[in-house]
Amino acid sequence: MEDKSRVKMSLRNISKSYYSRKETQEAVRDVSFDVMENEFLVLLGPGQCGKTVLLNIIAGLEEPTTGKMLYEGKEFTGVNDGFGLVFQKTALMDWKTVIENVEFGLKIKHTDKQKRREIAEKYIDLVGLKGFENSYPRQLSGGMKQRTGIARAYSTNPGVLLMDEPFGALDAQTRYMMENEILRIWNEDKRTIVFVTNNIEEAVTLGDRIILLSSCPAEVKQIYVPNLPRPRDNMSPEFLAFREMIEKNTDMAL
Amino acid sequence: MKQKQKEMLVTVAFTLLSLSLFLLLWSILSINNPDFLPSPLTCIKKFQAMLGRPISKVSLGGHILASLKRVLLAVLCATIIGIPLGLAMGWSKKINAFVSPIFEFLRPIPPIAWIPLVILWFGVGEFSKVFLVTLGAYVPILMNTITGVKMVPPVLLNVGKIYKASSVQILKEIVLPAALPAIFAGLKTAVSCGWMVVLAAEMMASKSGVGFLITRGMEAYDVAMIIVGMCIIGVVGYLISICLSFLERRLCPWKTNLE
Repeated sequence: MEDKSRVKMSLRNISKSYYSRKETQEAVRDVSFDVMENEFLVLLGPGQCGKTVLLNIIAGLEEPTTGKMLYEGKEFTGVNDGFGLVFQKTALMDWKTVIENVEFGLKIKHTDKQKRREIAEKYIDLVGLKGFENSYPRQLSGGMKQRTGIARAYSTNPGVLLMDEPFGALDAQTRYMMENEILRIWNEDKRTIVFVTNNIEEAVTLGDRIILLSSCPAEVKQIYVPNLPRPRDNMSPEFLAFREMIEKNTDMAL
Repeated sequence: MKQKQKEMLVTVAFTLLSLSLFLLLWSILSINNPDFLPSPLTCIKKFQAMLGRPISKVSLGGHILASLKRVLLAVLCATIIGIPLGLAMGWSKKINAFVSPIFEFLRPIPPIAWIPLVILWFGVGEFSKVFLVTLGAYVPILMNTITGVKMVPPVLLNVGKIYKASSVQILKEIVLPAALPAIFAGLKTAVSCGWMVVLAAEMMASKSGVGFLITRGMEAYDVAMIIVGMCIIGVVGYLISICLSFLERRLCPWKTNLE
């Protein structure tokens, strides 16, 4: 068993409000939790509210109104070099081929050309896109696009991978396949993963732990540990019971 | 496959039909007034004659090249001004606020309205013509570059932020390529605008160029020459747009080279 006792990252009392002239809108309220080393942590929440904001705060794309964050014991603000992000809408560049997209982060960080080719090849191989290096994103299926996004996030060798509803736009069949794929990839190249989703089944399939967030503002409602052996059979009684337990506790989204 | 061939055949047939109907109509109309409207055949003969002997010491190809050279030079100037300025205006609200009042006020003034001032300031030389064409060509390039930059998906800018890309890197790696298709569309419009303006500029005062041919035809009361000049304008403009589409496919392969 791998060591999951070390705290990799912590959130302490993170809140986020948006102010306009008329009103204050609270998106995230007093969220605190730890993420363990090499843990697959799922942030589960209903509908539109708060989850993505919370992930954007961790990624450094938005600033929290209050609270602080720690990475490997040190407080940080803004974009952290130790993080990689898989975007909700793939966010690939149409004018770059698969390999150029995967290399993007390394190029920005001035890694030399041969080295970044090597690294990109490695992760393209890992996500199962060998042979598609020179394809443009428009030639790829939704699943393949998101594989490219995952390879890009891996390429800069991050300690924590943040994933913002990466399979939300995929059809059901592809989604199941990608859920298995992300577990395979994670098993082959272990990282700490923070995975945001609104899908309870996906959360129970993937998570070492599931943090259930409430609807508007997002607050930690409960933390679940599905002690089910992997691969998890989503038709088994244990799985269904676990799923139902979370479902009953989930706020309805409008 | 068969289906496709059939569709091709239909397209070709209708193209031929429309062209021959056009020529037929032209021929019928020219029967009664050959002085005002020479027949297509007369025009073709005139074209052959013009190919054979220089007009005002310049061959027909030379006239076309003279016009083309002015357009290309002007489009080059317009590109050098338009793209950097457009990137800056699309990127920075301050620069946009500074430049756009002047731009919005100058934009609706057609280049032809500048002719008197340009003659007064710079005379009727080569510079004046290129200047006028540049005035016509920079507008679409600038406008499209601004739009292109504003339309860059914010999520791609976030990708840049995640990797802590510098402003120069974001501009070079994300903004410019994302805006390139829009810029290219502007470039295409600029060339066709330029092609229109150059004729106006040449008709004002010139010793060469396709516009000069038309003026010459008018002065000599040679209607066939006028029509040949007009046809040359049409054909050359069409060829330019084909060349640009080819160039676009080379420069933006992700847009068009998808099977």
